[in-house]
Amino acid sequence: MAQDYTEWLAINVLNEQQLISYRSLSRALKVHSNLAKQMLYDFHHKQNAKKPGSVHATYLITGTKIKEAPLANGGHSQHDGEDTVMQSSPPLPSSSAPQTEEQHHEPIEVRTVMLAKEEHLENAKASFESVTGIHIYSLQAKGLSDVRVLTECNRKIAADYASEDPLEAWKQYGTIQNSNVKRRTQRRQPPPPPAATAGATKAKVATTTKPAPLDKQASKESQELKPASRPTLAKATPEPSKKPATTKRQNSDIFKSFAKGKTKEQEQESQSSAEPSPKPPAEDEPMADFSNEESGEDVDEADAMETVVKGPEGKSKEKREADLQAMMDQEDEMMDDAAEAAPEVDQDEGAIDKPDSQTAEEPKETVEVENGRRRGRRRVMKKKNFKDEDGYLVTKEEAAWESFSEDEPPAKKIKGPSVTTMQQPKQVAGGKKAGKPGQGNIMSFFGKK
Amino acid sequence: MPDDAATFRMLISQFTDFLTVAIHTVLYERNIYPQTSFLSARKYNFAVRQSRHPKVCEWINDAVAAVETELLKGNVERVAVVVYNKGLKPTERFLFDVSRFPPVSFTDVDTPLERKDSGGKIVPILPLIDIEEQFRATMSKLANCGTVLKPAPVGGTFTVAIELKGDGQAPISHPQPWMPVEPILDKDTANMSQKRAHPIRAVAAGDLIFESWIEEAREAD
Repeated sequence: MAQDYTEWLAINVLNEQQLISYRSLSRALKVHSNLAKQMLYDFHHKQNAKKPGSVHATYLITGTKIKEAPLANGGHSQHDGEDTVMQSSPPLPSSSAPQTEEQHHEPIEVRTVMLAKEEHLENAKASFESVTGIHIYSLQAKGLSDVRVLTECNRKIAADYASEDPLEAWKQYGTIQNSNVKRRTQRRQPPPPPAATAGATKAKVATTTKPAPLDKQASKESQELKPASRPTLAKATPEPSKKPATTKRQNSDIFKSFAKGKTKEQEQESQSSAEPSPKPPAEDEPMADFSNEESGEDVDEADAMETVVKGPEGKSKEKREADLQAMMDQEDEMMDDAAEAAPEVDQDEGAIDKPDSQTAEEPKETVEVENGRRRGRRRVMKKKNFKDEDGYLVTKEEAAWESFSEDEPPAKKIKGPSVTTMQQPKQVAGGKKAGKPGQGNIMSFFGKK
Repeated sequence: MPDDAATFRMLISQFTDFLTVAIHTVLYERNIYPQTSFLSARKYNFAVRQSRHPKVCEWINDAVAAVETELLKGNVERVAVVVYNKGLKPTERFLFDVSRFPPVSFTDVDTPLERKDSGGKIVPILPLIDIEEQFRATMSKLANCGTVLKPAPVGGTFTVAIELKGDGQAPISHPQPWMPVEPILDKDTANMSQKRAHPIRAVAAGDLIFESWIEEAREAD
């Protein structure tokens, strides 16, 4: 290895006149970054001993710079009492990375990382009060005119070594690694049997309660939901057939977890389903590890997903409100559901209305069908009255449902949030009346809504 | 962009974009204008420099537009960006040999081009990825040219020149964008020894084929 690097550097730096940073060297020779830095130094030293000036180096200096008086930067004295002034570093020709120093009245430690060409090395070092680290950043044959060109090294690394798994390679290269980082499992895999799905949903619930940066996770979670609804859609998806069974159970678990008054999840759920169109492109970058199929599917399915998610949610809310009246004595969670689910799902529907408008037909049809099935399942878990409601669906309930679902999307097309609040009481009222078993007449009363 | 929609005009416009960036880079590297008057921009996924002065940008855009007109006619053999010193003697020239662009008659500039190789398979005319990579490599070489050449002349200036093919028509029109000058005696061997050529890169991506190099006058100012 010792001779390899000399040869490799000789070829690349001298013959091909490329810019070699310590990172490119470490990736190319598969050595630790610190070792690569030492190699660079050694090569630089030897070559310049043989032939002075044949190899130029750029150094990276870390440390604390000497605090400068506000007037040091060409007369930019802009202290205005409390204002903090972001000043660029003095016009040292070597410092390429934009340095910002905050000039406070209170002393604040500012650690500076500076790239310096070798000819400016002494100047750069002099500007530091204390130097915590210095090493060679890159070598080039003839000298560097514009330090920004060094960005090309990193781009090349990213392009050439994209196939390496950073989680495995970090030890070899010495990249700084967060020990808490875990690779996320494929979310498109069919969920394992219900016991596991319950665990999955709980895990999902746990993760979705994390703060904002994990919005993307939430959307991914919602897309885990969406695989559940996917089989019921007309879209072709290569899902195994057992998925419908397991996913419906997963859905019931999901709604069960909704029923537990987890408003946060509902909100994130609605947020995530509300923003899948901006999300999938954003997701594409962090999810570089996931297959293209997934991210492609995200974008494709996103719209469809929303509608279906909205559909069952809408019905479930109504159903819940229905159950609310009929089964007051039952779990308290249902009441929470009615109150909390209503506004959230309304917003949800409002927000995702635009993509819905095109697929408005699907929720009407799928919801009915699915309601029969899904609801049945859900209610089977809790209350077995659903079958009765199905009867209503057949007679008047069905009409009520249909009109109800029809009303929502077109109404929300025109006025988003304002309509939702109006619809809330409507839904509540309709739901309430719908819930009582054996009251088809009452439903007919409300059927014209 | 589907390759079957590649027209000659697109090919030329790719080249002229590149030429614009190259001119800005030359201005930066050779200190024609103060380096602080340039801002960092990104082109071809690469850090490049662009002048901030509106008049400079305008001049460059006009010059490149004029070059484009001539390129569309297919008259141009070489495009040169010439750097002069204070005494208006050329110190170096950045040359782009474009004689190998496909000869397309002026009426066909917007016709989709198609090329078949010897086996009859369709070959892409403008492979964008290749183009970007090769342009990036060329820019990288250009950006470092300052280290190869002698120190830039102080107070120098620059211009853009084109050398026409032998049988081409001179671009005389009204208003006249080009000034005719005496032919640069490249072929004159007496002058050759006083020049040094530094190759930059030969770009060959689909049908976009050109070479670039720097000619440096060897004599001191």
